[in-house]
Amino acid sequence: MEIVQVLAFGLLLGGVYALLASGVTLIFGVLDVVNVAQGAFLVFSALFTWQIWDAFGVEPLLLIPVMGFLMGVLGWGIYRGMVMRVAPQGPGMTVLLMFGVALTLEGILNLIFGNKFKSVTPPYFTESFTIGQLVIPLPQLISGVLGFLILGGIYAYLRLSWAGRALRASAQNKDGAALVGISSVKSASFAFAIGAATAGVGGVLLSIMYPIYPATQYDWIARLLGIVVLGGFGSIPGAVIGSLILGMTEAFANTYLPQWSSLFFYGTILLILLFRPHGLMGAKTREDVA
Amino acid sequence: MMANLRRPRVFIPVILLVLLALIPIVVQDSKYQQSVLIVCFLFAIMASGWNLISGLAGYVSLGHSVYLGIGMYTGAILGKAWGVEPMFLIPLGAIVAAAVALVVGIIVLRTKSHAFVIITIAVLLSFQLLAANLKKLTGGSDGIIVQQPSWAVDLGTKPYYYVFFALLVLTILLSAFVMSSRLGAGLVAIRNDEGKAASIGINTTVYKVTAYVLSAIPFGAAGALYGQYLGFVNPLGAFAILTSVYLVLAALIGGRGTLWGPVLGGFIVAIANEAATTISGGVSARVLIMGAILILTVMFMPAGLLPSISSMIERRKAKRQTVKFIDQASIASSLSDVDTTLIAPRPHRRDHAGDAVLEVRNVVKTFGGVDAVGGVSVALQRGSITGLIGPNGSGKTTLFNCMTGTIRPTSGQVILAGNDITSERVWTRAHDGLGRTFQITRLFKSMTVLDNLVAPLERTSARQMVAGRYTGDEVERARDILEFMGLQEFERQNAAALSFGQQKLVELAQVLMLRPSVILLDEPASGINPTLIEKLANVIRRLNEAGTTVLIVEHNIPLVLSLCDHIHVLAEGKILTSGSPEEIRNDPMVIEAYLGPDHMLEAPGV
Repeated sequence: MEIVQVLAFGLLLGGVYALLASGVTLIFGVLDVVNVAQGAFLVFSALFTWQIWDAFGVEPLLLIPVMGFLMGVLGWGIYRGMVMRVAPQGPGMTVLLMFGVALTLEGILNLIFGNKFKSVTPPYFTESFTIGQLVIPLPQLISGVLGFLILGGIYAYLRLSWAGRALRASAQNKDGAALVGISSVKSASFAFAIGAATAGVGGVLLSIMYPIYPATQYDWIARLLGIVVLGGFGSIPGAVIGSLILGMTEAFANTYLPQWSSLFFYGTILLILLFRPHGLMGAKTREDVA
Repeated sequence: MMANLRRPRVFIPVILLVLLALIPIVVQDSKYQQSVLIVCFLFAIMASGWNLISGLAGYVSLGHSVYLGIGMYTGAILGKAWGVEPMFLIPLGAIVAAAVALVVGIIVLRTKSHAFVIITIAVLLSFQLLAANLKKLTGGSDGIIVQQPSWAVDLGTKPYYYVFFALLVLTILLSAFVMSSRLGAGLVAIRNDEGKAASIGINTTVYKVTAYVLSAIPFGAAGALYGQYLGFVNPLGAFAILTSVYLVLAALIGGRGTLWGPVLGGFIVAIANEAATTISGGVSARVLIMGAILILTVMFMPAGLLPSISSMIERRKAKRQTVKFIDQASIASSLSDVDTTLIAPRPHRRDHAGDAVLEVRNVVKTFGGVDAVGGVSVALQRGSITGLIGPNGSGKTTLFNCMTGTIRPTSGQVILAGNDITSERVWTRAHDGLGRTFQITRLFKSMTVLDNLVAPLERTSARQMVAGRYTGDEVERARDILEFMGLQEFERQNAAALSFGQQKLVELAQVLMLRPSVILLDEPASGINPTLIEKLANVIRRLNEAGTTVLIVEHNIPLVLSLCDHIHVLAEGKILTSGSPEEIRNDPMVIEAYLGPDHMLEAPGV
């Protein structure tokens, strides 16, 4: 029974990770930019959720659309103001730029909130949901399920809408997409906004599960990027699989060897990369054909 | 060396280093200055080390401070166990860091640059966790108190100062050595275009791993010393991501890829950090300031200080110089008579071939459900010029890429000189005598024409990696080949400054440096003017006379017909027909494949 319990935990944790990692992989797929600031984005969102909840007692889950929208706007602005200008210098420089953004955000959050853990504890924080012998804390359940649902919504939108098709076209071939009238700047800003919005939403979901402080951004970004590397860059299904692997490893390690959980995950990544350098779902592209 | 000392970019830094060495002796009571300068030295050492992998080869590592931490723990743990001051364990710190870097590098450098960045962060955080959890070895989060120095108290921090200084000088010498070696040239080639570097025989895996290991050595050495200097070692301090930020910033501000840039940057960042600490205090303010500086540097001065200054000086100089006019016609006509040994293929160790030099057997390549190449067998006769033609989408490029190793066939074999090379790496093929050019030229744009020509490697060997960039007979041969092609005027030009047609000739010259037995030319005549096409045809004929086998993939049918002994026509992934130029010219199937079935019926004028 313990195994089932652990599996359920892993699955739910995977849901939140999947949403956040999809944002990273989407930005990479469309723009070739590794967004190392995703961790800072989500900490930003989580701390503001805490602030609003603390000051006004607003139900945190209601803030999901608000924080999603706000982070989306921030992401759009960061793309237009900075990333777009640095992009021609290649992925090495955009990584450094986003690293600078992450540090700046961390510094700002430090000044506002200080270096202390903040936890959002709504009334249902300590409640659990019980089926037979299976006991699942309510925050975990809510976050995991919402994570999957929102990601499903985004995925369906990318698959079915015109805008989503334009994004995917631009991800595969920028010049070709431009020829058929898709503005690469517009689709790139859109992708960046959606990627950042997932951090806005994910930040709210994480805020009811974990205590957060500014420097935890490093833990989060390491996990998210690990997932993306594991799943294969640019692949949303890959990000989901990577998230489930991470969720499961962490749930198992937390139950049996609590201190080593992250190490297990990093170990898994290195092992898989040894055999599949392009990740689980990453395709090797035809680099030579000009 | 002595002659070099007259040049400002050598003597200015040397004078500054000498002044630094004098400070503790000359300045009275310089304890504070020493402590600031020690941090400057440390940052400069780290930034220079980082520069070897991230500046030269372009693989940005955001977790390189892990090797500083490894050095710190090596010194602290072994020093405690053996009762030695960590200072004496500096070489061990370097060795342990190098060993860890070797293992990490072998795994991590198989991935492309994006994944590399990320994994370096994961490696750093992993070591932080390891250090916190292996309590018996590391003392857990509490850390280890390090033995204090045994020297007389009135010496103060002077011994630290001088040992750090010595490590800095050694690090600078290491990076100067790497930059002037073939290894350094290869790394810059990798940064420019990794796939191309492999195609001219650079074993990119070995080069990258070597650079990664070398870059960890200064960190490990400095770490052993730094742990003792701080007096204690703990996981968060030793494996701090902020240290990585500082050193990346230092290299970026000073100028990546240059010798002195990271050193200068190290001093700037260390002093700025000291100022930020005294003015504002608090880690939060420092994180904010460093983040903002990183953003501003990336956006407004991405090349860094030193390269910006030197390009400014060069622009000044260029204004005073007149540009020499180079007559295009003279390039096209001059094809000086040279000794054919210059362009003749070299004998290859593993050449067991009979008549066929390069052969593909039943090669199939499918992309998804599409058979791009559906079972093709072709043999290139030794000493022949073979043409491969076919309409767009017929599978020419795919077949070509299977031969060069850019893609691996789904099934079938590629045989070079009697050896199965189907699963050989791109650079091994180059070593075994296979040369190729690209349809869209892929020269190393930031390098001069001469540097492009001396970049190719006929084998991978340690001796060659440490050899100087311009030593050996390569430079002489490169000049001879340029002269043979009529390109000697362009020797010092940047490859990016040449016209497309000239670049095509240079790329062919570059391949000739490998002395290949087979050259595969991917649409050599596309996009260049008729005079240069003629010139190219002459070069190909001369190469062939000297004994080189040539395969041409081309759309320019008159060129193929006039040049080739034998022609294969590809259509829909299969060989449609093969034969002499005469046979192909009159084959109705070929005309149909190119122009469609109705063409014969609707001849012009009817």
